[in-house]
Amino acid sequence: MSLHVLILVGGRSERMGRDKALIERPDGTRQIDHIVDLAKGVSGNVFLSARDSEARGTGLPVIADLEPGAGPLGALASACAAHPGTWLVIGCDLYLLDESTLRFLIDHHEPAKGATAFRNRIDGRPEPLCAIYEASSISKAAKFSKDTRCARKFLESLDPEILDLPHPAALDNANTPLELAEAFQKLTCGVESKAVQLLYFAALREARGLSSETVETLACTAAGLFEELRFRHHLPLSTDHLRVAKNGEFTGWDSAVNSGDEFVFIPPVAGG
Amino acid sequence: MFEIVTTPIETDAVLASVEDPTCGGLVLFEGRVRNHHLGRDVLRLEYEAYDRLALTEGQRILEEAEARFDIHAAACTHRIGVLEIGDIAVVVAVSSAHRDAAFDACRFIIDELKVRVPIWKRETYADGKVEWTGCEHCARRGHAH
Repeated sequence: MSLHVLILVGGRSERMGRDKALIERPDGTRQIDHIVDLAKGVSGNVFLSARDSEARGTGLPVIADLEPGAGPLGALASACAAHPGTWLVIGCDLYLLDESTLRFLIDHHEPAKGATAFRNRIDGRPEPLCAIYEASSISKAAKFSKDTRCARKFLESLDPEILDLPHPAALDNANTPLELAEAFQKLTCGVESKAVQLLYFAALREARGLSSETVETLACTAAGLFEELRFRHHLPLSTDHLRVAKNGEFTGWDSAVNSGDEFVFIPPVAGG
Repeated sequence: MFEIVTTPIETDAVLASVEDPTCGGLVLFEGRVRNHHLGRDVLRLEYEAYDRLALTEGQRILEEAEARFDIHAAACTHRIGVLEIGDIAVVVAVSSAHRDAAFDACRFIIDELKVRVPIWKRETYADGKVEWTGCEHCARRGHAH
C-alpha cells in the first residue's frame, strides 16, 4: 500500500511573526527541509500543501488549497481530491519531530481504523497534524470543515487508533517566538523531566485551585513551563499578561528550568 | 524600609522612621480603600502578596528613589488581607532638606509600587461580584495609573 505524505506549509504564522516553515533550525537547516527529509524517509509520494503553488525550494509538487482558508481539513480534502488514498499529514511547526517517531507511527498504522494518531502528552487527546488518515475518512473532511475547522475534533470523530509517543516531546509544536525558543532548547539541550515548585497567586491561584504544588515538567524555559500548565489546567492568562519570577527574583521567559527551581507566574499587579 | 503587614498600619510610625533634623520637608501619602471602582460600589478589598519578591522589589524601589532624588530617607508599608472602606492600604513617607525632592520621590515610589510589586487586590462589589482588579498593561510596563 502506498502512503502519501502531505506537509502543511499553508498556515499564516501570524503569532510567530514569520513563516514557520522557513525558520532556520539550530543546526542551520530550514524547518521545511527537515520535515521534507523525514517525509522522504517514509514515502516516495511527498507533497506540500500551501495557499499558493510555490514549492519553497523543496522541489516537491504542491497541492494548492481548493478552498483557501479552510485550514488543515481543507488541505487534506484538496490532497485526497488530487490523489485519492491514505495520507500522512505533517504540520510544518513540529520542530521536535524525528525519524523514529514517524517510523513508529507508520509501524503501528491501523488501516481498519479511520485514522492513526499519537496521544498528546499533556491532555491525552489525539494530535491531528502528525497522523495517518484513511481515504474513507478524508471524504468526510470537506463536509466537517464547513461546520468546524478544528482538525482535532475531526480526528476524534474518526474513532482513531491512538498511540503513546515513544519520545514524549516529539510533537511539541511552536506557534510563537517563545514556544520556538522552548523547542530549540529541547533540541539543543535534550528533553528530560525536572521537578519544580510552583506558587500561585491571585487569579492564577483561583484558576488552579491551589496555592502551591510540585510538578514534573519537560520544559526547558519558563515560557515552556507556563505553556504546559496553561494547557493542562486551562489557565486564563497568557505569557502576554504575566511576568515570571524564579527563585524569588523576576526573570525572563527564556530563563532556564532546572530541578528544584521555584517559579511564580505573576498576574497583573494591583498594589496601592 | 519597605514592609508588608497584616494589621492596621501605624502611619505615625512610618513617618517617624524617616524624620531627621536636617529635613525641612516630610511628605506622607496614604492610600485608602475607597467605596467605588470604575463606577461600581465597592464593599471591601482583599490584598495578597508574594511576600518574598514583594519585599525585595519594594526595597529596590525605595533605593531607586534615594538614588534618583535628593532625599534623606524613604519608607513604605503595605497592608495585606481583608480591608474595609476607609482602611489604610499603603503608606509612603519621604523626608528631604527641601520639599520638591520629597514630593517627587513620594510620587515615584507609589507609582512604581503599583506596577512592579507583586501585590494583588480582589474587590467585592455591592452587586455581590468579586473580581481581581489589575491592569493587564502593567505586565508590559509603560502604563500610568
